[in-house]
Amino acid sequence: MNLSRLNVNLCGLSLETPFILASGILDQNGYTMQRILKEGAAAVVTKSIGMVPRNGYAPPIVFPGDGYLLNAVGLSNPGIDKIGTEVKIASEAGKPIIGSIFGKDAEEFSLLARKMESYGCAGVELNLSCPHVKGFGSEIGSDPDAVEEIVGDVKKSVKIPVFAKLSPNVTDIVEIAKAADRADALVLVNTLRGMAIDIFARMPVLSNAYGGLSGRAIKPVGLRLVYEVKKETGKTIVGVGGISSAADALEYVMAGSSSVQIGTAVMESGRAIFSSLSSEMISLMNRTGFDRITDAVGVAVK
Amino acid sequence: MMVRAEVTRVAEIASGVKKIDFEWDAKVLPGQFLMLWYPGYGEIPISISHIGNPKSITVKEYGNVSKLICNMEKGNTIYFRGPYGNHFNPKGKKILIVGGGSGMASLHPLIGPGVYGIVAGRTSHDLVFLDEFDRDKVTVSTDDGSMGVKGNALDALKLQKLEEFTSIHVCGPEIMMFRIMEHLVGRDLNVEFSLERTMKCGIGICDSCSIDGKQLCRDGPVFHISELSLMKEFGESKLTSAGERVFTNVHT
Ligand SMILES: Cc1cc2nc3c(=O)[nH]c(=O)nc-3n(C[C@H](O)[C@H](O)[C@H](O)COP(=O)(O)O)c2cc1C
Ligand code: FES
Repeated sequence: MNLSRLNVNLCGLSLETPFILASGILDQNGYTMQRILKEGAAAVVTKSIGMVPRNGYAPPIVFPGDGYLLNAVGLSNPGIDKIGTEVKIASEAGKPIIGSIFGKDAEEFSLLARKMESYGCAGVELNLSCPHVKGFGSEIGSDPDAVEEIVGDVKKSVKIPVFAKLSPNVTDIVEIAKAADRADALVLVNTLRGMAIDIFARMPVLSNAYGGLSGRAIKPVGLRLVYEVKKETGKTIVGVGGISSAADALEYVMAGSSSVQIGTAVMESGRAIFSSLSSEMISLMNRTGFDRITDAVGVAVK
Repeated sequence: MMVRAEVTRVAEIASGVKKIDFEWDAKVLPGQFLMLWYPGYGEIPISISHIGNPKSITVKEYGNVSKLICNMEKGNTIYFRGPYGNHFNPKGKKILIVGGGSGMASLHPLIGPGVYGIVAGRTSHDLVFLDEFDRDKVTVSTDDGSMGVKGNALDALKLQKLEEFTSIHVCGPEIMMFRIMEHLVGRDLNVEFSLERTMKCGIGICDSCSIDGKQLCRDGPVFHISELSLMKEFGESKLTSAGERVFTNVHT
């Protein structure tokens, strides 16, 4: 299939299509990332990687509901020193790998970003939804000063594009988006906080009780946050949250996303979703009157 | 979605191995598995050993959660998600099943009149479902020689005229399956293997169970020898629960 109408230049990364694999889904094993790229994803974002290995929470770490998914993986990751091997294996597909990282402060984020750059990552994505050491229970991404410092320091540390992935669990997303202004692009959104209780077992299903909500149920929320941030800041945005069809993706593009990431929909439709989204998108563009996907970016923002 | 079912019977069928029956009216194919939740303690993947109604799981005590499951009694409630995964595809009239230890559980639905078996275990107390085969159609191997051939499943397999079987189905520790794969690859045989790796989600998103980019919980756990023999990670390396690559290098 000729995908040239779907080509996107995202902050210097040339992407065959706007469809990128979101962080945390099928992206810790290099061979898995390589296969997903070969099967049609334009780029992959690695699972979020920290300074040292972490097992994460004990299962149950996921709860599949009706039209949504809850997860509490607990930032399980092999640590920055080990991920290089996986990035190298994934790179054999010849497409961009974006390294996702999380840390406790600007210094850790910068060090992690430099390592990802040295492994050959084409970009680095800052997971700002990780826990904030200063505020118990809150996320780094809800503190504008911390966000500004982290983004600023990482920008000074690497040459590759820096993507700041924002948390939707904040009162004023525009304030946080402005604090992250020095990022090359903003990624919106991470999971919403949620939970599920089994009424017969009389307890939360996830071992961590609280989890992150993703999947089709969160699409209207993500879409609104993308729209609002695009309207107020004009920044380059990568949209993510509940996209499971080309129509969902086109909504996100019209709200101001230059590219989109796909996470939970991979559970429903399998890895093949990337190639089917591309072909669906081309026929959808014919019906909605767009020659190139880039022509649709932000058209709905009034 | 969490399913609930009542335990109708518990029986010890080998040393530390329990067969737990429960009522569940769902269609399950041979080789599929469940994610079994023990509320407050954890969740583990478990093969469905009996796919009629009642259904059963056959569990060996090896960790915290499996021990709790083994101690369940008639009348208790089990919670689970599934069934997940693909399934075995038995073909033709002469079928051979090769099971090592509790690997026999996932193969159990294939056992029937006229089906041949190789049942392997460490000792004569570790032989699972041996009694369910016709006596003249089963070969036993034990590591300590306490019953049958002294040696492993491959040693017992080498005694068979394999070309006579229309399909062969194998499940057990990876080292056992790797050796069997090496021995059989390139021959005109129809062989399937059911693999085992860490499984955290069961639904194809966490990447903990992957091998060569395929997810055991979704594309597997059953793979045909023609595909498995090309997999780089089989018998070579896997990821720990944190995601660190460890080399098992079974093949060197
Ligand atoms: C199982 C799972 C694990 C995730 N892990 C991460 C992670 O490590 N880092 C991160 O930034 N986002 C993580 N996310 C969030 C996703 O990248 C994405 O932002 C979110 O799921 C919304 O998109 P979706 O509805 O398409 O899944 C995870 C999501 C899921 C479902
Ligand atoms: S167990 Fe999570 S992808 Fe298979």
